[in-house]
Amino acid sequence: MTLIELTPGESGIINGIRGDSHLQNRLVELGLLTGIEVRMVKQAPFKGPVEIKYRDSYLSIRWKDARQIELK
Amino acid sequence: MKPHFLGKKQKSGLKSDWVALVGNPNSGKTAIFNLLTGLNQKVSNYPGITVEKKVGTIYTENDAYHILDLPGTYSLSPESFDEQIVSDQVLSWASGEDPPSVIISVVDASNLSRNLFLTSQLIDLDIPVVIALNMIDRLEDVKQLDLKALQMELGVEAVVPLSAKFNRGLDELRTEVLSAITSSEKVSHPFTWMTQSLKDRLLPLQDKQFLSPKFSTAHALRMLSRNISPNGNESQFKSIRKSISNLGFNVNILEATLRYEWIDKIVRSIQPKIEQPIQKISRSEKWDYLLTHQWIGPFIFVGILYFIFQSIFTWATIPMDWIQLGINQISSFVITQMPPGMLRDILVEGIIGGVGTIIIFLPQIIILSFFLTLMEDTGYMARVAFMLDRGMTKMGLHGKSILPLMSGYACAIPGIMSTRTIDSWKERLVTILILPLMSCSARLPVYTLLISAFIPPLTVGGYFQLQGLTLVIMYFLGTAVALILAKVFSLFIKEKASSSFVMELPPYRIPIARSVIRHIFIRGKLFLVNAGKVILAISIVLWFLASFPKVDQTISDVNPIHQSYAGKIGHAMEPVIRPLGFDWKIGIGLLTSFAAREVMVATMATIYNVADAGDETVNLKNAMRNDIDEKTGAPAYTPLVALALMVFYVFAPQCMATFAIVRQETNSWKWPLFMVAYMTVLAYFGALVVYQGGLLLGFS
Repeated sequence: MTLIELTPGESGIINGIRGDSHLQNRLVELGLLTGIEVRMVKQAPFKGPVEIKYRDSYLSIRWKDARQIELK
Repeated sequence: MKPHFLGKKQKSGLKSDWVALVGNPNSGKTAIFNLLTGLNQKVSNYPGITVEKKVGTIYTENDAYHILDLPGTYSLSPESFDEQIVSDQVLSWASGEDPPSVIISVVDASNLSRNLFLTSQLIDLDIPVVIALNMIDRLEDVKQLDLKALQMELGVEAVVPLSAKFNRGLDELRTEVLSAITSSEKVSHPFTWMTQSLKDRLLPLQDKQFLSPKFSTAHALRMLSRNISPNGNESQFKSIRKSISNLGFNVNILEATLRYEWIDKIVRSIQPKIEQPIQKISRSEKWDYLLTHQWIGPFIFVGILYFIFQSIFTWATIPMDWIQLGINQISSFVITQMPPGMLRDILVEGIIGGVGTIIIFLPQIIILSFFLTLMEDTGYMARVAFMLDRGMTKMGLHGKSILPLMSGYACAIPGIMSTRTIDSWKERLVTILILPLMSCSARLPVYTLLISAFIPPLTVGGYFQLQGLTLVIMYFLGTAVALILAKVFSLFIKEKASSSFVMELPPYRIPIARSVIRHIFIRGKLFLVNAGKVILAISIVLWFLASFPKVDQTISDVNPIHQSYAGKIGHAMEPVIRPLGFDWKIGIGLLTSFAAREVMVATMATIYNVADAGDETVNLKNAMRNDIDEKTGAPAYTPLVALALMVFYVFAPQCMATFAIVRQETNSWKWPLFMVAYMTVLAYFGALVVYQGGLLLGFS
């Protein structure tokens, strides 16, 4: 399952990030490592960006990028 | 890239040691810079929102040091142009090019591990690092943090807890920076996060130009992650990449993964039980139920926009009237005190007339930059970017385009500079290309003058003021065409790398009053100094062109300005601009507008002052309204001409400074030239359609 499948309020543990290597690297640099817990906060309508919470941060990423984050 | 100030002569007492301030976006870095330097700072060029190079002076008891504020960045692997600036700087320090004596690494204490990532990259340089642990006011109990252990584990000179918001801990920071500069023994940090087998494999990729072997190794790893061969030896590079992935690592994310494992271990050991459950809903998140709500959020944003524009056009009129009054008094004072003659003419007609008409717009610029700073500093701007990203992407733009575009309503230059935060080259370029179509405050004088002179103060539809409505239409026209063109351009520009939108949503914060005031002050000062210089020069040159050669009034009864150099230039332009309804006077105005748009108003003021040849500064509005075409005897300007002229100003590529900045930001002449071309076509045909269409419909 991927991050995008979480409904707002649900959380999951990251299992890995796929896709573009730049994006992978940036997300990990921001602390989205395998084993980190992520909560879905909000999804903008029409497949707009999603807002997630992890560690002590709120982060917004695009819908297509959220689909690259795999959960355990 | 050398910091520019070091080329200049050093002030006395200033040490050659200097300090660099580095930190994540939203870590409060700029607030700390302001507190450290007070008013002793210089912003080179126009201020975008913390995207330019800022240098200040930090005073200790006996000495003074320069301090450089770098743009906020998450990592030394840059994803945006803004981050590229920092990573280029750090690379030059690593090669021994004028490195700072101390780096202050600003760390948000409420977001420790994520902020320490950048710190851990900086300590590889073997330059002394002092951690400024900001926002301790957000922690419930600071004493739970074992700061001594943090300092030892990371191998930094000191960890100074502070709060920029409450101005606490800054003296301690100054003391620690000073002792780090003067201390002879350098703390060495462990390089334990990288295993020996990895180091060995990276050895052939190490760049000898870097002074620190640690930095060199870490840099080799970064190059490996980004798949860029540092020495051009592709086959060696590939085999190293392969041998490292054979160790069981994902090369793409290796540096980040290993560093976080190290940092997380340290953070866990120094803050035993502060860990917050992921389900905890912060106060900002509750605010966002409303502010970024999928339907209510956009309405609130539109409401705020409406409020901002309303205040620019209503509140600002009060101080604007004061300024007008002051200018009038200065001119009449000069007229009464000075004997008539050329000097007085230059002073009253050229300088006071020209510069005076521009200073009036200072209140509007101040109000607009006040609201923009407020939206940025509270954290609301990031929410707007979040809400609009989807729509903006549809138009070929980016969520982060919203701040540059809104800044564009004040001035295109800081707007273009603040596109540096957009982490996609294509979307950044499209944003730059359309940005000058946002009606900047320099166009406001032109609109205001023409509207107040030619648009009747009627009420339409029972509620809307026709004058106000006309102004809104001009802003809307520019914005709507900008968005359409963004879509068109994005179809033709090739993507360099895939676009992404990764943005932190910082907690809502009450802005620090000092920071807001300083930002507005700098913005206003730059407007006055930069615009003032150009306008002063042009006003004087124009006055000469309009006043000479002197014609003997007793021989000719024709207004002498016709015979002047300016008059001749204007008349020569007339055939080209006549189809748009413009006469030779507007022609001169269009020409001088190339320096800056607001010069148009100053030009008209100068021309009429000269043409009138009276002693009082004439009321420009009345002068234009009463102007008679000397051939036909009909009014020279009609509402239709005014409308065509305003449309021309919406699109026209005036203001050369904008294109100089575009040249600098895109590093090519291609894009600024393209902009000048498409905007000229748009302006000419826009005005042509309005004027000729209006004539066909029976307006005059």
